[in-house]
Amino acid sequence: MDSRLQLSDLVKFMSKKYVPVHSHSVWYYFGGVSLFLFILQVVTGILLLFYYKGSSDQAYESVQFIMSKVEFGWLIRSIHAWSANLFILSVFIHMFSVFFEKAYRKPRELTWITGFFLFVLSLAFGFSGYLLPWNELAFFATKVGTDITGAVPFIGEPLKVFLRGGDDVTGATLSRFFGFHVALFPGIFVFLLILHLLFVQRQGMSEPIEASIKKEKLKTMPFFPNFFLRDLLLWLLVLNIIAILAVFFPAELGMKADPLAPAPAGIKPEWYFLFMFQTLKYFPAHILFIEGEVAGVLLFAVAGVLWLLVPFWDTKSSRGQLNRKINYLGVFAVLFIIILTIIGWIT
Amino acid sequence: MKQILISVIALFVLFSVQTIQAKDDSCLNCHRDLGDSPSGLFLTDVHYKNGLSCSDCHGGNKNSDDMEVSMSKSEGFVGVPKGNKISEICSSCHSDKDKMTALGASVKTDQYENLVNSVHGKLSVNGTERIVQCTTCHNAHGIRKVNDKLSPVYPVNIPSTCVKCHGNADYMKNYNSALPVDQLTKYRTSVHGELNKQGNPKAAECASCHGSHNILSSKDVRSSVYKLNIPATCSKCHSDKEYMKEFNIPVDQMAKYEKSAHGKAVFEKQDISAPVCNDCHGNHGAVPPGLSAVSNVCGSCHVINAQLFSESPHKAAFDKAKYPECETCHGNHEILSAKDQLLGIKEGAVCVKCHSETNSQKGYMVAARMSSTIDTLLALQKKANDLVFQAEQKGMEVEEAKYTLREIHQARLESRTIIHSFSEKKFSEVTDKGIAAAGVVVGEAQNAIDEFYFRRYGLVAAILIISFLMIVIFLYVRKIERT
Repeated sequence: MDSRLQLSDLVKFMSKKYVPVHSHSVWYYFGGVSLFLFILQVVTGILLLFYYKGSSDQAYESVQFIMSKVEFGWLIRSIHAWSANLFILSVFIHMFSVFFEKAYRKPRELTWITGFFLFVLSLAFGFSGYLLPWNELAFFATKVGTDITGAVPFIGEPLKVFLRGGDDVTGATLSRFFGFHVALFPGIFVFLLILHLLFVQRQGMSEPIEASIKKEKLKTMPFFPNFFLRDLLLWLLVLNIIAILAVFFPAELGMKADPLAPAPAGIKPEWYFLFMFQTLKYFPAHILFIEGEVAGVLLFAVAGVLWLLVPFWDTKSSRGQLNRKINYLGVFAVLFIIILTIIGWIT
Repeated sequence: MKQILISVIALFVLFSVQTIQAKDDSCLNCHRDLGDSPSGLFLTDVHYKNGLSCSDCHGGNKNSDDMEVSMSKSEGFVGVPKGNKISEICSSCHSDKDKMTALGASVKTDQYENLVNSVHGKLSVNGTERIVQCTTCHNAHGIRKVNDKLSPVYPVNIPSTCVKCHGNADYMKNYNSALPVDQLTKYRTSVHGELNKQGNPKAAECASCHGSHNILSSKDVRSSVYKLNIPATCSKCHSDKEYMKEFNIPVDQMAKYEKSAHGKAVFEKQDISAPVCNDCHGNHGAVPPGLSAVSNVCGSCHVINAQLFSESPHKAAFDKAKYPECETCHGNHEILSAKDQLLGIKEGAVCVKCHSETNSQKGYMVAARMSSTIDTLLALQKKANDLVFQAEQKGMEVEEAKYTLREIHQARLESRTIIHSFSEKKFSEVTDKGIAAAGVVVGEAQNAIDEFYFRRYGLVAAILIISFLMIVIFLYVRKIERT
């Protein structure tokens, strides 16, 4: 095998790669966990595709069939649903750990930018996948979600019509979301992921800024097998957690969507959109001459752009200096997201 | 002798009062001299007897002998009132409590208001006047008390009064062309109509059910003849022991009906499709109980049951024994929801009324077998329900099994219909469907429960394997990092 594929060269190459060891090393693992969960998503997603039918008159029934008739169909769908949620949680943790470590600083600006778009795509995966079972909650949550998209100035309305495939959420929206979820988004995601991993591979793991300032020589461990096996250990732990969640809390299906029925009370988006949804609720009807909802969407858009461009405006970190304001900003963002999500969840 | 003397004195007093009254009333004096009909009738009028004069309704000055003065507009003379003016003039006294008390009358003072709000007060062809004025029913001159046998509104006379309009198709089509005009003809075929014809004032007539001044359309929920109000309307008399004493019929129909499946549908669910008194007994041509016509009414709603019964061997047997068809098993006013216990040979079963181990044994055996089949189906349904519930509680997907559960229920419902064929073969065809469906549900639900435990055991195995791998990797990492 080795004579044919020269695997020993690959192992040799990987074992020459070193990962810094320090008190914050634990955060390095969340990139790997996110990758593992994405792989789980792809594998279980492909298996679900064998039975799922992406049309409004068959989607619900096909998911019901998967849950009740297909051997281990319930397990595959439950793993897909739980790993999707854990994937987004892991991506959040990974992104904030990079932010707090200032790992985005020069020369890793492009790694941060590709990572940011991977994060946005992860949310888009969640939003598009939520509608696919075509159940009541998903239907109305998508309606609310796409309505918010319509509030974006100038491009909001055409964007809403594009997403919905018409004026309202219909079977056309389902077909569209299905296409996004299984073809368009994975294509872009894999491309960005390859770039992201190539950048990491090329530049290695970022070291803490404090170590650079102190010109401290950090201890290291070989990527292969040490770091790789630690990664694998964590992946197996995550797999165990997902298995427990899938068995004890299998993915629910609820009632089939009925576009003519009134929206059930307390419609909420998925937890990772809750902080935005809840924030928009606090905006008044009008702020000066702008509608409250438009102002809220604009605010999040500006915050997103600032977040994306942080390597460029945080010049202090890029110069290798400590920047406490960034830490305060990060803590504010984390507290804001957590508090608003909890309020949105319990109200 | 004493009685004759009293009669003579009474006549004298009456004559003297009339003479004194007439002497003071120039209107009546002149019109009597003219010999016209109104003045003649007025002498029998209750108003005249209570001291009222022509001028109280027609205006004018009754004290002037000069016709120019007594019938002048300046004296308030209105002549013959037309349209709504007629009722307004009546209501000027009849709606005034003080005036009525002063005249010593004890009649109600809400008649005019009721009339205005009634169907007779609302409907109008020309849009300017009501269909009915007070005089339409009470007459204009010669108005008599309601309890006066000569009054057109005396209970016995009411049907003849109402039919003057309601029996005239040409007249009625101006107001409601869909309204039948044969009510009196039908009424005369009813027990009520017959008693009324015999002069019994206690027999129900038009006003007994429809009201008098406050008559509303039967579609109006406030009407006493609105479908949901009919039991209460009929029971006003039929539940009154004292009132019904002379007719010698039971007075517990309403009490029984309230407990019946039909009564519950009407009173608890406000279901207007459920039958009330007139749906079985008819309304104007009310059929008394005991006639075959009432039995046949059941089939007008319970069509398939009636049809199956007609084709069954029981039809000929019942006809021969002169048993009413439906009531024999189900009763009449107190028809309870059909229970499985009605079938069979146990306590509460109706089959044993005719079939026993010694008499008509074949029917007895068939009833026993049918009852046993229903018991089996019921037990299977309960088992299927329990298992589906258990599987659902365990979070398993059993929607299909839940859907199939309906087939068992459907089979039970169908069995209650097909039983009227009294054919064991047809009955089994229906129950077998239910038993087969129950088998499917029990199997699916049990599989779901087994699957639940399989998942738990599978999880334990998976956790053990994954944890073992983790331990191996952990030990290996420790080993290589030590070296």
